[in-house]
Amino acid sequence: MTTPAIDATDLHKKYGSLTALDGVSFTVGKGFIFGLLGPNGAGKTTTIRIMTGLTRPDSGNVSILGHDIKTDTIEAKKKIGVVPETSNIYEEMTAEQNLVFAAELYGVPSKERRKRAAELLEDFGLAERSHDLVVGFSRGMKRRLTIACGLIHRPEILFLDEPTTGLDVQSALALREQIRRLNREGTTILLTTHYLEEADQLCDTIAMINRGKIVAFDTPENLKASVTGSRVIELSFSSPVRETDLSSIKNVIEVHRIGDKLRLIVGDAEDIIGEISDFARSRKLNITTINTLKPSLEDAFLKITGLNPEEAVKDKEQPKPRRNDG
Amino acid sequence: MTLIEELSKAFYIARKDMRVYYLKAPNFTYGLLMPVALYLAFSVAGNLNPGTLISGLVSLVVLFGSTSIEAVAVVMEKTNGTLERLLAAPVGVFNILLGKALAGFMLGPLTAVVVLIPVTMISGTSVANPLAVFFAIAVSSFAFAALGILVSVYAKWIPEAQMYSNFLRFPMAFLAGAFIPVETMPGFLQVVSRLLPLTYSIEAMKEGMTNVGMTGTYLFDMGVLLVFSAVIMIASTKVLEKRLG
Repeated sequence: MTTPAIDATDLHKKYGSLTALDGVSFTVGKGFIFGLLGPNGAGKTTTIRIMTGLTRPDSGNVSILGHDIKTDTIEAKKKIGVVPETSNIYEEMTAEQNLVFAAELYGVPSKERRKRAAELLEDFGLAERSHDLVVGFSRGMKRRLTIACGLIHRPEILFLDEPTTGLDVQSALALREQIRRLNREGTTILLTTHYLEEADQLCDTIAMINRGKIVAFDTPENLKASVTGSRVIELSFSSPVRETDLSSIKNVIEVHRIGDKLRLIVGDAEDIIGEISDFARSRKLNITTINTLKPSLEDAFLKITGLNPEEAVKDKEQPKPRRNDG
Repeated sequence: MTLIEELSKAFYIARKDMRVYYLKAPNFTYGLLMPVALYLAFSVAGNLNPGTLISGLVSLVVLFGSTSIEAVAVVMEKTNGTLERLLAAPVGVFNILLGKALAGFMLGPLTAVVVLIPVTMISGTSVANPLAVFFAIAVSSFAFAALGILVSVYAKWIPEAQMYSNFLRFPMAFLAGAFIPVETMPGFLQVVSRLLPLTYSIEAMKEGMTNVGMTGTYLFDMGVLLVFSAVIMIASTKVLEKRLG
């Protein structure tokens, strides 16, 4: 049997009376991109910290390519690259100095350090700024350099905590492409993200964590398929409409307000559009926009975690496109 | 991992700290200017002899310098999130802190020389055993850097670390023989002074300045400082490991 890249077994962690993890177990195979999703405070960062040896679990084990992170810590850490949510590079040093220092910490042979640093600076579009102090870099450049530092020792597994948070759309797209490239080259990747569309685009497997427990573990497509049986319609009217009024429409199961739009979860009714049109006509309203949406990973996430959309989107800084078929 | 690999990583951390933290303002204000100003004020009022002046002043500069850089280097790493980068690397916690202590250890002799040369020349005092004085400065520097680390692993902010450090530094400055010879203190204060590492640092430097050979007192003082350093480094490692949860 092949040794998995990551094997987490029955992780428990409490901070005082707060239970951060309550029996988290999962396995990540070599060469996959694995997404760990969940709302704020769900236990994502604690899980990553335990897997990277930064925090000790109260009980449970993590094995990194067969090395126990608690008892064989140094060997396990040699196999992994860690990119935390906040960029943690030395601003008083140049980009190249940061990379060379990371290489020194991970035992990269001295002859290789500058060569690898130059390659990564090229790959991440920072070659022209290699001798500049990091203090003058943009947030996106710092993020790219942080990721490059996590790759200098060519780790077999890369942990990425919220890799695109705070980046502009162009930088986020470029970074996602770099994540795909690393994976194609054989790196196993575990990432956490708030951006469900990002997880949908990148991940082979997703675990959803809520209140310290894994509540779903599957491929993105299987997770989305789990919410079939209902349809989602997003619409807006020319004048404000209360959610409770829309709830009175036949076959409407749930109504959520998202900005100036209303999202209806409807039963499998054939003439729901007609019902909505009748509703609008009876109240002398014009329908400004109407879209029927395929169930997205976000719908699966909301259904599985039990959160409402307002709670789910309140921490997000980046707009996400949704696919629609209507 | 071999011992040499581990030690080389500690050295890389020390070199990085020297590059990043040596020129930070608190190192000058707390590390160099404060002990010099304190000492000048006291020497004007206290009519100190050159031997006491030099060994006391140099020890104070080493104490303030080495503890100040640790307050900056350890606490800034925590607040900037870069400590996690070190902790995520395949380097033991003890060796991370050893690297930090080495950076403080190397700052001590630098600042001490800046003070020692002009003060010695101005006062016309001769140094009997410069090598012994240098080793006393180096070992004291490491001991005080270790003390600075222990303080800094508890602190969340640089001012907090400086405040904790001052709780230790100022009583030590007055009780360890920097301004007032230990022999002239009341009996119980002499006992207290024997519990302070600065006492052994000042005594070792005085021995090096007045004796050509290495005396038993000098070797004892150096031994005490080395044992103190080891105990404090191990304690700091345990504290940091516990704080990581």
